[in-house]
Amino acid sequence: MTAQSTPSATPSDPLPTLDPDRRATFTAIAAYLIPAAHGMPSAGDVIGDARLRFVLAVRPDLVEPLRAALRHELGTDPAARLARLEREEPDHHAALLLVVVGGYYTDADVRERLAYPGQEARPVVVWKVPPYVEEGLIDQVLARGPIWRDPATGRRAEPT
Amino acid sequence: MATEPADVLIVGAGATGGVVALRLAQAGFRVVCLEQGDWHDRSEYRGAELDWELTMRKQWATSPNVRALPEDYPIDESDTEVSPLMYSAVGGSMLIFAGAWPRMLPSDFRVRSLDGIADDWPLAYDELLPYYERSDRQFGVSGMGGDPAYPPGGEDPPLPPLPIGAGGLKVARAHARLGWHWWPEPNSILSVPYDGRHPCVQRGTCQQGCGEGAKASTDLTHWPKAIASGARLVTGARVRRLETKAAGLVTGATWLDRDGHEHFEPAKVVVLAANAIGTPRLLLLSASPAHPDGLANASGLVGRRLMMHPFANVGGLFDEDLESWQGQFGCSIESFEFYETDERRGFVRGAKWGLAPTFGPINAALPSRAGTRVWGPDHHLHVRSHLGRGANWGLFGEDLPDESNHITLSPTLTDSSGIPAPEVHYKVAENSRRLLDFHIERASESLREAGAHTVEVDRLMRYSGWHLLGTARMGDDPSTSVLDRWNRAHDVPNLYVVDGSCFVTSAGVNPTSSICAIALRAADHMVESRFNQQVPA
Ligand SMILES: Cc1cc2nc3c(=O)[nH]c(=O)nc-3n(C[C@H](O)[C@H](O)[C@H](O)COP(=O)(O)OP(=O)(O)OC[C@H]3O[C@@H](n4cnc5c(N)ncnc54)[C@H](O)[C@@H]3O)c2cc1C
Ligand code: SF4
Repeated sequence: MTAQSTPSATPSDPLPTLDPDRRATFTAIAAYLIPAAHGMPSAGDVIGDARLRFVLAVRPDLVEPLRAALRHELGTDPAARLARLEREEPDHHAALLLVVVGGYYTDADVRERLAYPGQEARPVVVWKVPPYVEEGLIDQVLARGPIWRDPATGRRAEPT
Repeated sequence: MATEPADVLIVGAGATGGVVALRLAQAGFRVVCLEQGDWHDRSEYRGAELDWELTMRKQWATSPNVRALPEDYPIDESDTEVSPLMYSAVGGSMLIFAGAWPRMLPSDFRVRSLDGIADDWPLAYDELLPYYERSDRQFGVSGMGGDPAYPPGGEDPPLPPLPIGAGGLKVARAHARLGWHWWPEPNSILSVPYDGRHPCVQRGTCQQGCGEGAKASTDLTHWPKAIASGARLVTGARVRRLETKAAGLVTGATWLDRDGHEHFEPAKVVVLAANAIGTPRLLLLSASPAHPDGLANASGLVGRRLMMHPFANVGGLFDEDLESWQGQFGCSIESFEFYETDERRGFVRGAKWGLAPTFGPINAALPSRAGTRVWGPDHHLHVRSHLGRGANWGLFGEDLPDESNHITLSPTLTDSSGIPAPEVHYKVAENSRRLLDFHIERASESLREAGAHTVEVDRLMRYSGWHLLGTARMGDDPSTSVLDRWNRAHDVPNLYVVDGSCFVTSAGVNPTSSICAIALRAADHMVESRFNQQVPA
């Protein structure tokens, strides 16, 4: 029986489903995909238990494909593993990428370094004249006249 | 269970189900609606949460096949180039729709007369105008009047326009230099408090449910009022088939509850509002010895002429931080510059462009829709160049009707109630490919003029079947159409179809404002013709 077909219910804490070998493989792949560079940390360092638990808790459907993507028989070379998964098991490949990216970019420090505050609530301001009106951009569109096609003539409508 | 027949039984509590229920309930009709999905509480939406970009790929995916919730029906997509997208709930697909709310243009109703292809509608733009205006007030539409892409006259949108963002401003300036049309997009999203609802806070997560309640969906805008006016909405109710009498009238619907128990809901009139996949599915499921090819299908057109708008995404990347993850996902600005036919281009009809936000870091990091991906040290440069620095033109091309693009019932796949699932057979036409190629070139020009250093193109997105149209078209001739000009089935005088199935041609705009205006018009007709309505004895 391959790891892919091993039945295992998703437990409330998904981490124990990743044995130490899989866990180490995950860290190596995360660091390979997103290494420390350009002032950003490595995903291998960022994605500890907390981040991994977070991703798998909100996406329990990723547990099984992740386990499959990390199985021992795919070898120790991250590049070869990723290439084979992409070619032969695209769903497992996609799940692995999503767990790495999801773990990394939900980390507070990573988001701060990117100056990404999350999807913030920013109330709409309607009482100020919008800059495009102030700049005369609307007037320019209007000055060019109608652009709709009049079904009665089949041609662009005439200005009224 | 009900024994007294409802005056009107509606199947589907989405956009059009809500519109028709409210109009009829307020006119004193006894309305019952059967909806396979459920109510959603706004607190369930993930837009303000850390997991937003993770859950949008599964629990809040736009494809029912990806979500695979028990209330969704699966769709066999093995023979389609585009996946149909939808949501099953009170509010229907509006729960996850983007909120862009443009109207069709006058030429859209006269494609045969003007371009010698497809068909004319049995109604015209002017006839629909008052319904657009009433519908806009019901949903709460923000926008700016006076757009020269439309005929003058009529009411302005009831609410002031939403912001167009830094990206929208750049592109608007570029269009001023190019002499090209642009306009702030009308959206069914509140810019100010309206009808007891909060205004938009620009989170940009509209396609995963609006936690503010700023984006219109009929669970907020219509159903509470319809229920207060006496409508009865049954959720978790999956309609299996419509039943008919020898006289050719429909008598009600057989449906299954969440536990699989079967019920019959009798009705004097039945209204299908299950969208252009769900409605033909039900009509085909309602085959009987008297209607061996499905109900209301003497023309043979039930399920045929499916149109889904060929779609391309053209994304520009800029040096400046535009914070392009924020802003209504509807659209900030639109362009109709190349909307109307110009045969010198080598195709007929055109596309509306809508400028949209660009999601957050997970989207920037994963392989892009245009196929770009970067791993290793330069991954960080890739993410920095994409996150918040993009502007995306979405190109909604007109899809011409073709009878070979159609829905059938799957012989093998079923929903969680054991009812046959729909199979979609759909190919993108040569006209659509040429149309998209042309528009992609022009949209790239627009973004370069706006200062984009890179333009990335996703030419024909698979997951772009947002707009489901045409599978029970209206027309004056019963041999070439399923519905009459009032959305009533030619063959079954007490059956109406009010969703996008009725579309004759697709136009090249987001369709829901038109779908809802047409549904409101049909409901008005039901009220006006109530004393002449044929009903089962
Ligand atoms: C991701 C996304 C983005 C979109 N963005 C836009 C946009 O910006 N602008 C725009 O104009 N349009 C947009 N649309 C399209 C818009 O949502 C639809 O046009 C609109 O919701 C159609 O309304 P409807 O009433 O026909 O169907 P729906 O809103 O789909 O409602 C149909 C209802 O019928 C129910 N139903 C189906 N079959 C059965 C059955 N057998 N028994 C019981 N109930 C049943 C379903 O559960 C559903 O709730 C978008 C759609 C999606 C999916
Ligand atoms: S951007 Fe506005 S409409 Fe969209 S989800 Fe946020 S508050 Fe709602």
